[in-house]
Amino acid sequence: MVKALRVIVLCLFAFTLAACASGLQFSQVNPSLTPQNPELGRIFFYRPSFVGAALRPDVVLNGRIVGEAAAQGFFYVDRPPGTYEVVTSTEVERKVSFVLDKGQTRFVRFSVSWGFFVGHVYGDLVNEVMGKYEIQACKYTGPQPGGSGNESTKTQ
Amino acid sequence: MWLLAAIGYGCAFDLADINYSPTTFQDADKSEQSFTLTKKVSLKDTPCWYLRELQPLIRWQLVGSVAQGDVFRSKNQTLTLECSNIYEAYLVVREGYLVGFYLPVQQGFVKLAEPVHLPLKQ
Repeated sequence: MVKALRVIVLCLFAFTLAACASGLQFSQVNPSLTPQNPELGRIFFYRPSFVGAALRPDVVLNGRIVGEAAAQGFFYVDRPPGTYEVVTSTEVERKVSFVLDKGQTRFVRFSVSWGFFVGHVYGDLVNEVMGKYEIQACKYTGPQPGGSGNESTKTQ
Repeated sequence: MWLLAAIGYGCAFDLADINYSPTTFQDADKSEQSFTLTKKVSLKDTPCWYLRELQPLIRWQLVGSVAQGDVFRSKNQTLTLECSNIYEAYLVVREGYLVGFYLPVQQGFVKLAEPVHLPLKQ
């Protein structure tokens, strides 16, 4: 019985590790905080905690999938100034809405809260100081280190 | 099975949302009007009762106005209102009092039940 329990715990641990992001660390990618094109703004998405690592919902930005909210992962996209809504869905939809200005950098942090059957992954808008600090330990999950990230978008 | 479905349906995961009224925003062109707070202001009477704190020495810049007051935004403090979803919010100030919040994406006004006095430093 104890042996079986150990195997289950080990399997869960391995599954959790496997579900975490596994790219280069933020400091290794060292992306610019602002886009090369001064007419655009940059949105960083990151999830600093490994809690609920098995949950990797799509990150939908204004109706288009731009990446996954992977535990301990980050990615970014460049977008023109305007209003934006980020949606993550597990058993419910969670939305965060904000304004992006030209040359501005926004940080959207994902966390996990309790749900009925599965946890809820929700985004929050955090200030730049907090975002820059928390994102350091995250690993890149975007398409091209140093690229704009826009290439990864696909219609939902 | 029916019991589980009923419990699941009854859970209030998505029921709490922010009530706002549509409002018309007038842009303040190149305004240099701004203020800082001389001390921290804690806002407890927000939608869904999530505590928000306005930090001292952070500069709030006039960006426009709505019928309810002047609208201020800070580049150094990100302000949001939160219920089931999260909304970026700006301050709406009238005669030294915070009267509510402007939601720039929804173009809506969220009224505070009681205006909050702001210790302003121009």
